[in-house]
Amino acid sequence: MMPTPISEADIHAYVDGRLSAAKAAGVDDALASDPALAARVAEMRAQNAALRDAFDLVLDEPIPDHLLAAAVPPALRDARHRRTLPLAIGFAATLLIGIFVGWLVRDALIERSGTPTTFARQAAFAHALYATDVNRPVEIWANEEKRLVNWLTKRLGFQVHAPDLTSVGYLLVGGRLVAGNEKPTALFMYENADKERLSLQVRKQRGADETAFRYAHENGIGVFYWVDEACSYALAASVDRSQLLKIAHVVYGQLAAADASPK
Amino acid sequence: MTTPPGSDAPGLPQPDLVAAIPRLRRYARVLTGEASRADDLVQDTLARGWEKRRMWRSGSDLRAWLFTIMHNVYVNQLAVVRRDAANVSIDADPTNPAWQLPVRANQIDRVELLELMQQMGRLSPDQREVLLLAAVEELRYEEIASILSIPVGTVMSRLSRARNNLRQLVAEPGPGLRVVK
Repeated sequence: MMPTPISEADIHAYVDGRLSAAKAAGVDDALASDPALAARVAEMRAQNAALRDAFDLVLDEPIPDHLLAAAVPPALRDARHRRTLPLAIGFAATLLIGIFVGWLVRDALIERSGTPTTFARQAAFAHALYATDVNRPVEIWANEEKRLVNWLTKRLGFQVHAPDLTSVGYLLVGGRLVAGNEKPTALFMYENADKERLSLQVRKQRGADETAFRYAHENGIGVFYWVDEACSYALAASVDRSQLLKIAHVVYGQLAAADASPK
Repeated sequence: MTTPPGSDAPGLPQPDLVAAIPRLRRYARVLTGEASRADDLVQDTLARGWEKRRMWRSGSDLRAWLFTIMHNVYVNQLAVVRRDAANVSIDADPTNPAWQLPVRANQIDRVELLELMQQMGRLSPDQREVLLLAAVEELRYEEIASILSIPVGTVMSRLSRARNNLRQLVAEPGPGLRVVK
């Protein structure tokens, strides 16, 4: 019997079970005498089986409700729920997006006018400005710490504390008042034995939720900032991140202890 | 979710529609490579199906008809994306990074299966689509040609390329192979 030539298409149809019985018999014959072809067909079949195995898993997943709802004729869908809820969600989403975009634009506009907007950036700028001032980094020096704290407490409208950072090698230099976006900011300057300075800045944060430590880096100055008890704190210095984080933990611990004690 | 009894739901047989959803989801997963995008595509497809319900001939294969709609919806959406980003193309992007495993990795207990899925992700969507319809959905080549609006010869050449690519990828993974976790 003359073997009929087997095309590439025939091979695929054979593997997919789409070949007529007569042609399939021809392929069977060819496979018996052509081990390479037989190996290829076996591989293609294995591929098919593996693909089916993997993709069949999708079929077993539960169908989400919104897809079941989409299978209901539009005319029969319950107008009260299916129509108004997505609409309400749509409105709410649009409103939120609007607010969010507005907020972004607001910041961008303020930034363009030259004012650093985020507390972290402001803290970095203030630190860069005052820490490099050898003779007058602060308005009130540490020898008048009590007066400094009382003055800043009065100006900020809440009790501020100058944490003791001797455990990490920094001594209080003094402090000053810094302009913020809406509220004034208190700045405490510290210095270590190598004359490296760091500043802790505090201000009231309207309606802010407590946050974990966050890190920002501005022009070589690292800033850890966080919100606690409706106050924003920023610790800025030109030291590496892990060192700064260690100091931030000390600051945080002392401030938490101060808040817990009676005022 | 049930149809109120006795209601003459116009056009499409709803039980068949619901029964087709898992397969639509699977096809969508192969197209988009991502579960939530896939379900969005299924929802768009069902909505389009209801809009075009008068085009469906009663008694014909609803699943194939829905596959056709899904393919067209997907291609149209892709065309919109392409208009926005000129470098996106249905077949010029064989290593589409957006394509992920169609199933959760922890569902796959065999390493070679996981590898195969990753190889699938590197096929062009055109090739993936044909391979799914032929090997997994087990549709006739003529049906596939009709769903994709291409000649049967093109179905065959895409299928052939898909299988060869898959074979080569499996045989020689190359430096681009992602680490299998």
